Amino acid sequence: MAEQSAAGLIGARVRRQEDPRLLTGRAQFVDDVRLPGMLNAAVLRSPVPHARIVRIDVSRALAHPGVYAVVTGDEVRAAVATPQPVIWRMIPDQRMTDGYPLAVGKARYVGQGIAAVAATDRATAEDALELIDVEYDELPAVTTLEEALAEDAPKLYDEWPDNVSCRATIPKGDVEAAFAEADVVVRETFRFARQMGTPLETRGVVATWDPFTDRLDVWLSTQSPNLARDLFGEVLDVSVDKIRVRVPDVGGGFGNKFDFYGEEVVAAILSKRTGRPVKLIEDRLESFVANAHSREQKVEVELAATSDGRITGLRGTVYAVLGGQLATVGIGPCWLTAALMSGPYDIANVEASVVGVVTNRSPYGSYRGWGQPKSNFAHERMVDLLARRLDMDPLDVRRKNLIPADAFPYASPVFFYDGGRYDECLGLATDAVRDRGWLRRRDEARGSGRTVGIGYSFHVEITALGPSRIMNMAGLQHSAFDEEVVRIDSSGRVTVYTGQTALGQGIQTALAQVAAEQLGVPLDDVTVVVGDTDTCPYTGYGTGASRAASLGGGAVLTASKRLKEKVLRIAGGMLEAAPEDLVVADGRISVVGVPDRSVSMAEIGDAAYRRINGRLPEDEVPTLEEREVFDPPNVAFSYGCTAVLADVDRETGEVRLLDYLIAHDCGTVINPLIVDGQLHGGAAQAIGGALYEELVYGPDGQIQTTTFMDYLMPTASEIPAFELLHMETPAEHIPGGFKGMGEGGTIGGAAAIAGAVDDALADLGVATVALPITPPRLLAAMRNGQVQA
Amino acid sequence: MKAAAFDYHRATSVDDAIQQLGAADDAKVLAGGQSLVPLLAMRLARPTVLVDLNRLADLAYVRRENGELAIGALTRHRTVETAELVRRDVPLLADALAHVGHVTIRNRGTIGGSIAHGDPAAELPAVAVALDATFRLRGPGGERSVAAGDFFFGYLMTALEPDELLTEIRWPVLPQGTGCAVEELTRRNGDFALVAVFAALTMGADGVCTQARISVAGAAAAPLRADNAEQALIGSRVSAADAGAAADRLAAATDPPNDIHAPADYRREMAAVLGRRAIQRAWAQANRTNAGE
Repeated sequence: MAEQSAAGLIGARVRRQEDPRLLTGRAQFVDDVRLPGMLNAAVLRSPVPHARIVRIDVSRALAHPGVYAVVTGDEVRAAVATPQPVIWRMIPDQRMTDGYPLAVGKARYVGQGIAAVAATDRATAEDALELIDVEYDELPAVTTLEEALAEDAPKLYDEWPDNVSCRATIPKGDVEAAFAEADVVVRETFRFARQMGTPLETRGVVATWDPFTDRLDVWLSTQSPNLARDLFGEVLDVSVDKIRVRVPDVGGGFGNKFDFYGEEVVAAILSKRTGRPVKLIEDRLESFVANAHSREQKVEVELAATSDGRITGLRGTVYAVLGGQLATVGIGPCWLTAALMSGPYDIANVEASVVGVVTNRSPYGSYRGWGQPKSNFAHERMVDLLARRLDMDPLDVRRKNLIPADAFPYASPVFFYDGGRYDECLGLATDAVRDRGWLRRRDEARGSGRTVGIGYSFHVEITALGPSRIMNMAGLQHSAFDEEVVRIDSSGRVTVYTGQTALGQGIQTALAQVAAEQLGVPLDDVTVVVGDTDTCPYTGYGTGASRAASLGGGAVLTASKRLKEKVLRIAGGMLEAAPEDLVVADGRISVVGVPDRSVSMAEIGDAAYRRINGRLPEDEVPTLEEREVFDPPNVAFSYGCTAVLADVDRETGEVRLLDYLIAHDCGTVINPLIVDGQLHGGAAQAIGGALYEELVYGPDGQIQTTTFMDYLMPTASEIPAFELLHMETPAEHIPGGFKGMGEGGTIGGAAAIAGAVDDALADLGVATVALPITPPRLLAAMRNGQVQA
Repeated sequence: MKAAAFDYHRATSVDDAIQQLGAADDAKVLAGGQSLVPLLAMRLARPTVLVDLNRLADLAYVRRENGELAIGALTRHRTVETAELVRRDVPLLADALAHVGHVTIRNRGTIGGSIAHGDPAAELPAVAVALDATFRLRGPGGERSVAAGDFFFGYLMTALEPDELLTEIRWPVLPQGTGCAVEELTRRNGDFALVAVFAALTMGADGVCTQARISVAGAAAAPLRADNAEQALIGSRVSAADAGAAADRLAAATDPPNDIHAPADYRREMAAVLGRRAIQRAWAQANRTNAGE
């Protein structure tokens, strides 16, 4: 790459340093890890949705040539100290499911791990799975929310009174009064299909439990190595000094790889049993049952408003269709749907409830957006429906209710929104729609067999998670600070050590830009080291919740500032000048106005590490390294407005996206190229969620979508060009002003697409209340008014 | 997703392949592998032997013979799709192939593999039925020809015997003045069709339809020839009303499956919509062809 000048690197559209490796096939993913003597494991998965496990006979599998070990749920349970951890516990009286890495006693969903085999190779391990005899005493299954909540429904947990894991209500103001006094009340129920993130690289682990040192060395495709290390320690009852988690290149995370899965523990136990490294890779087929599912909810919402469109109250209930046991994040994502139900609107009275219901389906875990796509869909659709009821322009209803710029920090039912210019952002989007002639295109299409509509959504996005103490008080059983280390070596080059994980999102380049600008060195002089708990610092939580660039960037910025002060003190001594009279540019420190009097960063490095005497000031310790821990005082809210131009075929129900734009504010932008990429990817997943993707279960509890032929991810052919419009309102409480933006594209898309579809079919009164919008469903809606699941 | 163990035999000739197929209990032919390999990986297919045809270069060709187009079974989709002879003599086949999966799949998949697999939602079986293609099959007892209309008789079920090999597909050349159209409804570009209609209509000198060849994929357990729609069009001037009426007949003859991607009713209704569009587009093209454009 060409030399980049350090000045102005923050905000520069520089190419990503990691891409040449990734694009030329030089990346090394977890399946590329091959260790001497390594075994390959495979998991036997339940073929039934709900059953008592009467007996497991592994003798034939154990006798199979090439098989080294077979473990069952009971054996795994005996080997662990605790159930699989659930770290989000914001509802104190929630009934926990206490699941284990493999099923113990009962199987509660198709695909739940029953036993595991370690063998010389994966094919042999799969052969051995066929030789395990399991006797199931099948039980009636509850495969839908309605079945689970029915009176006399079969219970997943015998000791519970019903299938409800938790109920909680988040109040603000006086909702009853707001509804009693309302001019109009609008009610609607929304349904969201089950969906999941589908990283091209499925999950995987290589665990080596060394029988001589008793150290557990793990290669893991994860977003949260420090969390994984702590959870390995808890579950296996091992102090964490004996556990190392390394993360190779990760082929996409999308939240799925934030969670801590049973297979990871199983691999460690199989390694301990065999004394060999054990690789366990989730294949594509099993990824559709073993990877965290997400999104499936029913959301009931009521809006109270005045006759001129001012929203005075919102009441909602989120029914979380949880699976057979709780995943690492428990009720977290569904709780967040309720917590953010009022979105970007200034609503005085809000009451949002969440009801967590277990069903015989795969566990509900993390997926990009983490509950927010549903809250966004709910409030944006409700605004559109309110506008329809009042015969107002939905944009006017938005303008009337958006939180005004002078109302920040704004107390929403749970979070303090830190700041923003929401109305301006909406204007940016509507101006762009006007300037690009969308209104004309819509009018021209009217009256033909295909009609065109325009839809909008306005989203808020919680990022920069988060203040550790407050998160602990809210129920998170983990911290959320970030620690970064910035070091200049003896040759004057810079290395940033981070606990954040590189998932293909460009975090190395982003952190390098921050360090390079602060230190005054060329971008190529900065290396960012990720992915090793032995050598990298500790980040709380992990690389999720849109926090890496924001908190990591903030911490790198502060550490680099302090490191630069030391550089200037050393340079001041060498140049016989006061540090405040020095400037740094392109890796050289010079006296202001006397460019000939200068010293290079390499000479500073040499003076700090090697030829110290006479060059490193007497009162300075050798080495050049700073460590910064940043625990933010608050989360940061990014926001944006999505506009979609869509075409509907009235004969087939097909929806085609013609144009798509996002106006967006994520505070100070480190690299617009990376922000664009994150928004593009997020929007692609929003399109998948709105129009294509659905994990389907049959009435028998069997999942029917276990390949990409049936689970329809959108491809490049289905995705329009995206246009992005950036605003920058720096976060005042984060050094550098950076906010996160990893999820915004995903959050706002579906509501805008649904709005465009409804607009295209306005004459038919269609109201889209369920996702995904498939051609048969849309055609039916044209006849009966509502797009139903 | 690792295949169960199987033996592998690389065929050295058609006779060698046939002998291998006859010798094994449950042998499978490996051509392009685009359907077979996933089935192996998922252990849904567990053959004892795979007989690999890929070295049989003399099974890959496109040539004009006796007024027909002869295509070797091992010819790749993409080769057929882009062959000048196919574009000129059997344009409906070239149009249909553009809808098969994606280019990377078509580079590998073979025309014989697609026919022998017999997926009722796939393009090639339906086009073969519409155009009255004939299939040359060879077995231990020698060679026979089977008309496309007699070949497919159920979901993934064909007239091919376990020890027979499909070696060639012969396509009648479409007459002058023929317009072709493929209308296919898929959830995503490249997916199997929810419904697809293939139409080739020939316009006589007097402006009436003299020949109609129409078939439907995804509409029944086997590809469906829409004879009733064809009969309704022959002799007509294919007005919008004629096209609609014929398409309704076509839809009425369907018995589509119900699955997670679309209910049967939807597919039947779409058969009417796509049928009408295909007939109208094919006829418009026939018109242009006759006008010398």
